[in-house]
Amino acid sequence: MASSAPVLEFPPPVPADVLAAHLYTPSRAEQLIVDVHDLRKVFVKRRSAPDASMWQRLALRAQRTDERVAVAGVSFGIAEGEIFGLLGPNGAGKTTTIRMLSTLLQPSAGRATINGYDLASQPDMVRRNLGAVLTGERSIYWKLSARENLEYFAALYHLPPAIARRRVAELLERLDLASRANDPVEGYSSGMKQRVAIAKALLANPPVVLLDEPTIGLDPQSARNLRELILEIKREGRTVLLTTHYMEEADLLCDRVGIIDLGKIIALDTPAALKRSIRQLDVMQLEVEAFDEALMPELEALPGVQQSAVRYRDDERVWSLALHSTDSRAVLPRAIALITAHSGRIRHMAVAEPSLEDVFIALTGKQLRD
Amino acid sequence: MDTHIAEPWRAGRSLATELRAVLMIARKEWMIFRRYPSWVIALFIWPVLMPLAYIFTAQALGGPGGESLTRFQQLTGTRDYAAFIVLGSILWMWLNMTLWDVGMYLRNEQMHGTLESNWLCPTWRVSLILGGALTKLLVSVAFILISLLEFRVLLGVHLLAGNVGLALLALLLTIPIVHGIGIAFASLVLRFKEANAMVFLVRGIFMIFCGITFPVAVLPGWMQVIAAVLPLTYAIHAVRAALLANAGWAELSADLLVLGAYAIAAPLLGYILFGIVERGARRRGDLGQY
Repeated sequence: MASSAPVLEFPPPVPADVLAAHLYTPSRAEQLIVDVHDLRKVFVKRRSAPDASMWQRLALRAQRTDERVAVAGVSFGIAEGEIFGLLGPNGAGKTTTIRMLSTLLQPSAGRATINGYDLASQPDMVRRNLGAVLTGERSIYWKLSARENLEYFAALYHLPPAIARRRVAELLERLDLASRANDPVEGYSSGMKQRVAIAKALLANPPVVLLDEPTIGLDPQSARNLRELILEIKREGRTVLLTTHYMEEADLLCDRVGIIDLGKIIALDTPAALKRSIRQLDVMQLEVEAFDEALMPELEALPGVQQSAVRYRDDERVWSLALHSTDSRAVLPRAIALITAHSGRIRHMAVAEPSLEDVFIALTGKQLRD
Repeated sequence: MDTHIAEPWRAGRSLATELRAVLMIARKEWMIFRRYPSWVIALFIWPVLMPLAYIFTAQALGGPGGESLTRFQQLTGTRDYAAFIVLGSILWMWLNMTLWDVGMYLRNEQMHGTLESNWLCPTWRVSLILGGALTKLLVSVAFILISLLEFRVLLGVHLLAGNVGLALLALLLTIPIVHGIGIAFASLVLRFKEANAMVFLVRGIFMIFCGITFPVAVLPGWMQVIAAVLPLTYAIHAVRAALLANAGWAELSADLLVLGAYAIAAPLLGYILFGIVERGARRRGDLGQY
């Protein structure tokens, strides 16, 4: 893939008024089942200096400390029965946040409660109130059958044997796994494996379910089925926290979305409200062949352009451009002229309704899949 | 929110629920073990291969009628070098299996991606390890019994003629020691994510210093000092003395006391090390990384 333009690597700072309008502060009056306050994770790595001698390396001398801020203090609350999405590009801090909430990763600072149990002082009770799918189909044993997997995890969740048997049978039936319940998982499709992983998370009837990129790697039909299942989980009264970098998924499933970038939540609201916030902007989407990326500064300099982003799509061998402007009628002809003058061939263009991706672009100057 | 979601097992754990979890982990490990056909090699073929090489070497050095075995008898109290080597080898291979199986248990879970799934459950961490080790222990017992049977049939080595009770006591005391070493090893593998080099180092040290195929008395003085620190030296000595020289309590009490002390200390240190490594992994976030 071609490299991104510098302007995309160093996104413009989000205007303070935009940020203030979207940042969410949990109110104590709300009934929050997940309550997160200023959660922060800094990874510290000690490594020997490149010029350290063998002896210095063995004696752990001449070490330097590298710090990487993965989550820079996030706060949000999730009400009971809500689907809450953390939407952001890879490396934004979504997975780190969800892993801290699942007790697998120790936060560097901040606090959080799950169903009233404190993450730091009551991790065991937090685990009893959570069902989580963090590594997808890899989180189950492929050499075992779906039934054996579920019976195994039921014991680890301390379910009494009679309840475990009933629960396993219910979940196998409900997730359409019953007909192959006794076959080894290694012969299942990715969608079926993911359903076993979700059944595992639901075994103990947890009030809160954490799903990390639940549809990643699934074919469109399996992803659609899984999204329906997530909506069913919500209808049962459970609270769902999911991470995704698919804006359509966040838009479809989530009651509220926290947009996360560089370890910070930069906007938080319902998908509709987030999109409304940039409705005054026209969103122009262009697909261009043979696009010269060096044109981006000139496109951004066109009068009326407020934000822009570009991404090369390997699958289609095409450049995908997004231009935000208050006046697309004035900007579009100039943009087309500029692109075609530099041998770019426009394959498709549209002035579209703002999507969550456009919200992300408006806030960060980057596309979600950058 | 629906009231059915609040369910009683969320209130806490009991010893019975933890025991059930341990047994279920052991069952899972057994099912996975059985589904890899290589278990036949591990249980039936490998036990005889390694000792045979040393037994035939000893046979060659001992001469046609065992004329050169006088010195060996002076040092060991027996002329039955085959039984001597078989006993040492069986105990060493048991340790070896534990290092690979228990030591690699958490690492295998990590590589398959299932370690975090287990860690997300409210089961005690100790139960997670005990369950994995239980199957390995049962496989080890089967391994020892099959080894004894195979050497009886193939070479006529009869090992159950001496003081079987004290030999069993020494073996029972060795179980927690080997388990403790395995847990410590598992912790280090979890931390450094590399097992091969460490397994070769540890099993090499035990092989040379504990007198697996030769009496410790032939080692140079400084090596004997190291041998005296290693618990397997006492286990091998006690089992050999009990089975080959019919030694009684008076002769073996010192060995058994040392083994008793190690039986308390080794698992304790193993689990302390595991706790430290687990906390570090949660801090660094590399529990699931492979």
